[in-house]
Formats: sequence, structure tokens, C-alpha cells
Amino acid sequence: MSSARTPDQTFDRFAGRQLLILALAGIAGITLLMVLLGWASSLTGASAGANVAVDPVTKTITLHMSTEPPQLNSSLATDMLSGMVLGHVMEGLLRYDQNSELAPGVAERWHIDGNGATFWLRKDALWSDGQPVTAHDFVFAWRLALDPENASQYAFILHPIKNAEAITRGELPVDALGVEASGDHTLRVELERPIAYFDKLVAFPTYYPIREDFYQQTNPRYGAESDTLLYNGAFMLTRWVHGAHLRLEKNPQYWNHEQIQINVLDFPYITTDPNAALNLFKDNKIAQTGLAAENLYEAMERRWQIQRFMDGSVFFVEFNFRDDRATKNLHLRKAIQLATDPAELVYKVTKLPGYLPGESIFPVWLKGVNGFFRQEYPAPAPTMDLDAAREHLAQAKRELGEIPALVLLTGDNPLSSLQSEYFQQVLRKNLGLDVRIDKQIFKQRLAKMTSGDFDMVMAGWGPDYDDPLTFGDLFASWNPNNRGMYANAELDANVEIAKTSLDPKTRMDAFGEIQRILIEDAAVLPNYERGSTFVVNPAMKGMVRRAVGLDPDYTYAYIDEP
Amino acid sequence: MSEATLTPEDFRPAPATHAAQTLSRPSLSYWQDAWIRLKANRRALISLYIVMGLAAFTLLGPLVWDVDPAAQDVDQISKPPGADRSATVVEPYSAWDPSLQNGDGHGLRLAAPATNQTVRLVWDPDPHAAGYLIYRNIFPIGPENAFGLPLGETFSPNHTYFEDLLDLAPRRYYYTVVSLDAFGDRIGHETLEAEVKRVITADDAVVRGLADSPDALSVGDKVTLGLHPLGTDNLGRDMLARLMHGARVSLFIGICAPVIFMLFGVIYGSAAGFLAGNADQLLMRFADFVVALPFLLFMILFKILFDVGAGESGILPMLLAMVLLSWPGTARLVRGQILQIREEGYIGASRLLGAKTNYLILRHMIPNTLGVILVTLTFAVPSAIFTEAFLSFIGMGVVPPTPSWGSMCNEGIKTMLTTPHELIFPALFISITVLAFNLLGDGLRDALDARMRSMD
Repeated sequence: MSSARTPDQTFDRFAGRQLLILALAGIAGITLLMVLLGWASSLTGASAGANVAVDPVTKTITLHMSTEPPQLNSSLATDMLSGMVLGHVMEGLLRYDQNSELAPGVAERWHIDGNGATFWLRKDALWSDGQPVTAHDFVFAWRLALDPENASQYAFILHPIKNAEAITRGELPVDALGVEASGDHTLRVELERPIAYFDKLVAFPTYYPIREDFYQQTNPRYGAESDTLLYNGAFMLTRWVHGAHLRLEKNPQYWNHEQIQINVLDFPYITTDPNAALNLFKDNKIAQTGLAAENLYEAMERRWQIQRFMDGSVFFVEFNFRDDRATKNLHLRKAIQLATDPAELVYKVTKLPGYLPGESIFPVWLKGVNGFFRQEYPAPAPTMDLDAAREHLAQAKRELGEIPALVLLTGDNPLSSLQSEYFQQVLRKNLGLDVRIDKQIFKQRLAKMTSGDFDMVMAGWGPDYDDPLTFGDLFASWNPNNRGMYANAELDANVEIAKTSLDPKTRMDAFGEIQRILIEDAAVLPNYERGSTFVVNPAMKGMVRRAVGLDPDYTYAYIDEP
Repeated sequence: MSEATLTPEDFRPAPATHAAQTLSRPSLSYWQDAWIRLKANRRALISLYIVMGLAAFTLLGPLVWDVDPAAQDVDQISKPPGADRSATVVEPYSAWDPSLQNGDGHGLRLAAPATNQTVRLVWDPDPHAAGYLIYRNIFPIGPENAFGLPLGETFSPNHTYFEDLLDLAPRRYYYTVVSLDAFGDRIGHETLEAEVKRVITADDAVVRGLADSPDALSVGDKVTLGLHPLGTDNLGRDMLARLMHGARVSLFIGICAPVIFMLFGVIYGSAAGFLAGNADQLLMRFADFVVALPFLLFMILFKILFDVGAGESGILPMLLAMVLLSWPGTARLVRGQILQIREEGYIGASRLLGAKTNYLILRHMIPNTLGVILVTLTFAVPSAIFTEAFLSFIGMGVVPPTPSWGSMCNEGIKTMLTTPHELIFPALFISITVLAFNLLGDGLRDALDARMRSMD
């Protein structure tokens, strides 16, 4: 009996067998559950598991969105994502072409003179239900956006039209608007005063047409679902599962549909997480994604073709000029201006290729009289000078007494945290100033900016239309986006000149003055001009990225299998 | 069968010896006995040493390693421990005039030696090009022609220079210049390898305390940059100093909160247990009510209540929320113990001998629950540290620039793949601390259990 086991050992052996059986049963159970779940999800049809990023057979391009658009009523849309979807499914009088130049849209030709504009609409422009797009649809849409009852945040973009401002204030009825349809295919616009950039404005989503009978029939659900929106653009929204899926299909009624090569633009993934999007790209589930700084190493390691693009926006620190704030003091602002270096921020701290150190609130891509504005009017950007900064600080202390802790309002994303902590330490080290960081989500930050609950705020501005005025009037005393209540009569006068003058030289001179005043008065500290790095599936060609207008634009995309 | 004969001798008392009453071992109190058993438990003992080491790290560490945890060294951002720190002294940075300084030779070339201050590239104009794209890669360019990071572009055939300032590290880079035709199509490219050297200006060296005066250094001298034993984080801050200062917050919350709420819980629980009956019912139902309150919500409410403004530390509301919401566990435990003990025979005996209520509670009941209390305390400490780490991780706790282990993890996790040390060190400290306190608590439970006394 040499092989006799003690009772303990037999127990172990028995227990081991039992454990093994249990483990196998567990694995089998989980496998079964997964098969069942897979079958269940295939029943609902919402799964996009089989999709590939670029499908040359069905001519489908699959993409992701960070969040879904809040709604798609073009007269109310404010955010970039709504603008992106609307830009594909709707078309204004004019649009941007492959080279980002203004091109005819619904309007075949147009004429703009001092006091007005005339647009001749093409006769083959149709809504997705087959009815023609008429001048009345534009009149209706513009009146709708200006109607104080609708409270469109972008009503101001229609203000160059005669009486528009008075209508938003409720002083005049909406039909007093200086726009009329003479016949179905001619649109006449009266302007409040001559402006040089009206053609660029009409490509903006707020200027898109809306058909009255459809709007009245669906209101208040207009633009809330895929079937309560009428399309006149290159694509139609055929599916909109809220929070989960948007599907755009080619619009057969679109006048230029022969030029559109993609049949489906599918957005089955909605995620704010850049790493999730990157994983989708790696798995060949989506055709394009942006890269954050921490993903660049992996992108290089995987030998991807990394592309870069300046999205046209400028980021800066705004000061609060309300009476009870220390930042109202010029010398304090000067001290902060001279103690900081945007180049160090961009090259050493944010470390993202494509970012440019901020020198002015006018970005480098704006066109001037002949060439680029910033080449014709170089920004008098101050260089970092600690001695001068400390002198200004001493002067500020003489005027204010002890400087209280300054509240720096900022966003809650990783990049804003990094920047604000860098800024906090720079001011502490170089000037001995105490800075408190107030991190807030976007909505809350906007509310605090509006109520003036800050000393400094990290803000940014993207262009609405392709003219320096989109940046130039930001700090006009009457602009609601001037959150710090900066008021400077000289600047206001120059904004007025830029708004009213038709002579490019006079206008650019005025912008040059605005640039000089803002820097000399240290009213704003430019941080950087934002760029972005992204990767694209090599089979997808023809995607257009632009700073002003629809971005990214897949209208001209095509599939080219290598 | 024989009759035993008893003599009177047999009825004499045995000689008095003290042998039976002599203690073979020295008399041990409850605590001494517990200590002996704890010492025998190797895991618990090591944990105890780790806890003591942590206390020293937190309290004495900053005296030895006197580095400002908020100081940013932007030339050494996200450096792992042990990175090379030597730098060559160079002239201060001056703007580049490509027409004067354009390097010798042909093709893509460096106009000046490549340093981490600047890399200046010059190339020959391409007659067919309308512009150029400049790329930088850290991997050699393979047949895929993946050129890496797009650094910039020029828009004229004769604009044949580019200055790279972006996050230059002392390593080898592969620069590529791609020529573009008027339609934006690639018509050619050229690649250059560049070995970047770390440099520093004399003034900078003085600011960083590496030299006494700028005159003491001349161009070409070698200096060694400041030491960061555990590397630096994403803003060039010293990890070791941040871990030490972060430990203060973590251990402050980890020890203060449990001590305060245990104290309250003991008083509350013993009152309920001793009073028993309806009072006990009332007190314990209130405790049940407190258990149901959500911690995170209260934390936010206290933040508002105390008017904790923007950029002010949320540590005090966190402490208060923990104290106010965590005591019922202890109270229940102590109440149960007291209810049990008050029915014990020795309590009745003590009562018969005329002991007062105070005496009963202080002499008999509390000491008998002390073991349980102590064990709960050691388990509450890691859980409090963890709560603090979690709250700082989601941004509800400390505010920058104050570090805490949780907030350091939060920052480190973003660059987990490229610079793992930023996450590993704080995570390691949290894990070790929590584990040490847990094992110590485990050991204490065994050591303080009176029933195990006879087992040795």
C-alpha cells in the first residue's frame, strides 16, 4: 500500500477536479452568453460590427463624431458639429469648393454692390421631396432666425441686412427685413450699410434656406429627427438614432449629384474619448481621427501618414475689466504680458505640432490687402522682459496696494489643465502672483464668463466668416462676446471703420490699429493659434479641411483603393 | 485484598512549597501579549515598518529632499528616472537669418549644429516646387514613406529653410522635406538624420543654480542639469518632491478622518449599546439613515456650504463629509460588542461589587472593544486614502499646484504609454500604503484576539 493517500490529499484531488469542472462550466457559460448577446445585437440591427472604414463596393465611408448635434434647425445651430452635419445635408446661396474658394451653391450667379445684393437661383435646385428651392425659402429662414421669439444666438450674423438688428431687438416686425423674393428665383437683399464681405456671410449655416410649409407642419420638431428635416444639400440624413448613430446618404435630388462620388457617410460611433476613436481607427472601423499629443508616438511607430491642419481659431487669456477687479489695472496686465512667453508654452509645454505661438488675435491665415494680413501688418508682439515686468508690477502695487489672488477661469479638458498650471507657476515664479485655477465645464465656464466671475479666462475664438472682422470686433465695447467688458473708444472707432468702409486698405489699416491697441493696452494675451494633427485612411481621398466654412468636408471625397 | 493502614503521619499537611504558584514565564499584560504575537507575524511586522517608513518619508523627506514640488523645469519635461542630464553651454538663442547662416554644401542640411534649443534646416530650391512640407520622425523612414510629425510648411519655391523649436529632446531625429507642386501633390522628398545635443545657456545655468555666475562658464563647457531621482512629470516638476508633498495630503486625510469618525462612532455606539431598549433603537435607526446618504453628493454640498471658491482646496469639505458619513459602521460594531459584553458574568460580578456605570464602561467595556476598534481603524485608513485618491483623481480634491497621489495618477494616466513613470510611482505608493495598512490590520486582528491567547 505504498500509494496510500492521506484523507487530506484525496480531498485536494477531489477539490481540484471539482474546481476544474466549475471553471470549464464558467467558461462555457460566458461563451454561450456572448454568442447569445451577439445574436441579440444582430437582431436590433444597430450594431456596426461588420463595417469597414472605407467600403469601395457600397461607396460607404464610416466615421465617428465626438457628440451628436443638439438639433439641426439651421436657424438655431451654433456649434461646430451641427455646422458639420448641416453643411453636408443643406446648401446655401454660395458654398466653398475643393480649394476652399467661394463657389455657386443654390445661387447660380450673384451681384453685390454698395447697398444691396441680388442672387439668381438655379432652377434645378430641389428639396429632397422634389419641390424646387425658391427665394421664398431664404426669406422665410432669415426672418425665422431674426425673430426675437426664436432667440437664435447667431442672429447677429444676419445683422448686415437692413433692419435686421431692430428686428432682433423687437422694435420692428419680421417682415420689415430688407430681403425680398422677386419671383421664385431671384432674391434681392437690402443692406443696412455697404459691407465688403456679404458674399462670404451667405455660405454660413444661419443663411441656409428653410421651406415654410414643411417648417410649420413639423414645428416644434423641425430639425429634431431625420424625418422632420428637409434637405437640399448633397446628402440626406436617413437615420438618426439619438446618441448613437447618424447616417447620411447621397441626395438624388441634389442638382449637382453627379459630382458626388460617395453614397453613404456613416457615423455609427459617437464618443468623446480620443483614445476610443484612435482604437476604432486602428481596427479599420473609421476613416479619420484626430491625434492627441500622447498618441503621436504610437502614430509614428505605426508608420501612419500624419497630417496637420490649422483650424483657424485663436486662443488667448482675456482679462476682466470690471471695476472691482485688479486686472483692470494696466500695469498689472503689462506685468503679466511681459512675464509670459507663448513660444515656451507652445514648444515646451503643449508640444503639439501645428500649434503656432500666439502673437496677435488675428491669425496668420487672414488675408490682407494683397497678401496675408499678418505679413502686411506684423504684430508688435512684446518680448519677454522680466525686469520691465517687475517694474510694472511695482507700479501696479503702488496703485492697488497688495495684489489679491487672481482667479484664472479655464476649461476642464487635459490641455486647459496643463496650460493653466503652467501659467499659474510662471506668474508665481516670475512675479510672485498667486493664481487660483477655476476649472469648469464648457457651459459653466461660459456662464461665469458672462457674469464676469473671473480675473483672467482662457478663451478661444474660431472664425465665422472669412474676414478679419470676425476677430476684429471681439473686443468692441458692444460685443456680447467681450466677456471682460473691455471698453476703448479708439478701438471702437476702428471697428466702426472696418465695418462700414469698402476700401480694403482703409479696413486693413483699421485692423492694424485694433491689433496695436490690444497689444499695447495688454487687453488680451494671445496663447496660440490652434492646429490639429490627424490621420486618414489612405483609401479615402478628397476630404477637405478648412478654417472657415464646412470642416471636415466629405462632399468631394472619393474612394481610391491603392 | 489488604487493608491500608493509615497513620496520623498521613494526615499531616504537606510541607508548604511555592512551586505550584511560581510563574514559569513573566506576567504579560494583554498588550504585551498582543505585541509578542504581532512580532511573530512577519507580514504584519514588515507592514508596520513600511507604515513607519511612510511617516518618515512624509515628515522628514521634504527636509532631506528640499525641492519645491511646484517648480517647473521646462527643459526636463516627462523625463524618466536616470535620464542623461549632461548639457553643453552655448550662446543665448538669437533669431536666425537664413541668408547669412545657411550651412555649407548641398541638399537638405543643417545650418547650425542641432541642439535642443533649435534645429535649423536648409535645402536646395526645387524648380518644380510651389512649396514644401517639413516632417520630423523619431523612427528611420521606411518604404511606407511615413515621415512622422508634420512640423510646418512653406508656400514659396525659394522659401527653403525651416527652424524646428518643437519639444526637441537629445536624440536622433529624421527630418524630411517634401516638395509640393502647385496642386499640392508630392513631387519629391529628401531626408536628413540629425543628432540633437542638449545645450543650456550660461544665464539659464545660473538661474537653475548650476553655476555661480555666467562668467564662470564659457561656451563648450559641460554642466549637469538638476537631479530628479524619480524623474519629472508633464510640466517638468520633480516627481520625488511631489510624491512627498502628495503623501502629506493622502496621509492627513487617511489618518485624520478615520481617527475622528472612529472616536465619534465609539461614543455613539457605546451609548446606544449601554442604554439599550428604545434609546438604542432610536440611535441605531438614525445611524441607518446616515448610512443611506450619498457621499459624493454631500461632498459637493459641503463645498458649496463652506463657500469653497474657485481654485481653493477641497480637503476640508472632504474631511468633514468623510467624518459625518463614515461613523455608523464603527457605531454598529461597538454597539454590538457592548450589548454582548454587558451581559457577561464579570460585568454582573462587578456590578454586585458596587461598580458605578462610569467604571463599568471605562474599565470593562471600552478596553474589551479596543481590539475591534483598533482593527477597524487600520482598515479604515487605507479606505480613506483610497477615497482621497479617487476624489482627487476625478478633480474634487486638491487643487493645483498642490499634489496628491490621486491627482498625480490622474495626470500620469494620460501619458501611460509614452512616459509610464508618471503613473507608476504614485500608483505604486498608493498600492503599497493601502496594502501595508491592510496587512497590519490583519496582523493586529490576530494579535488582539483574546481567544487566540492560549494558542501559543
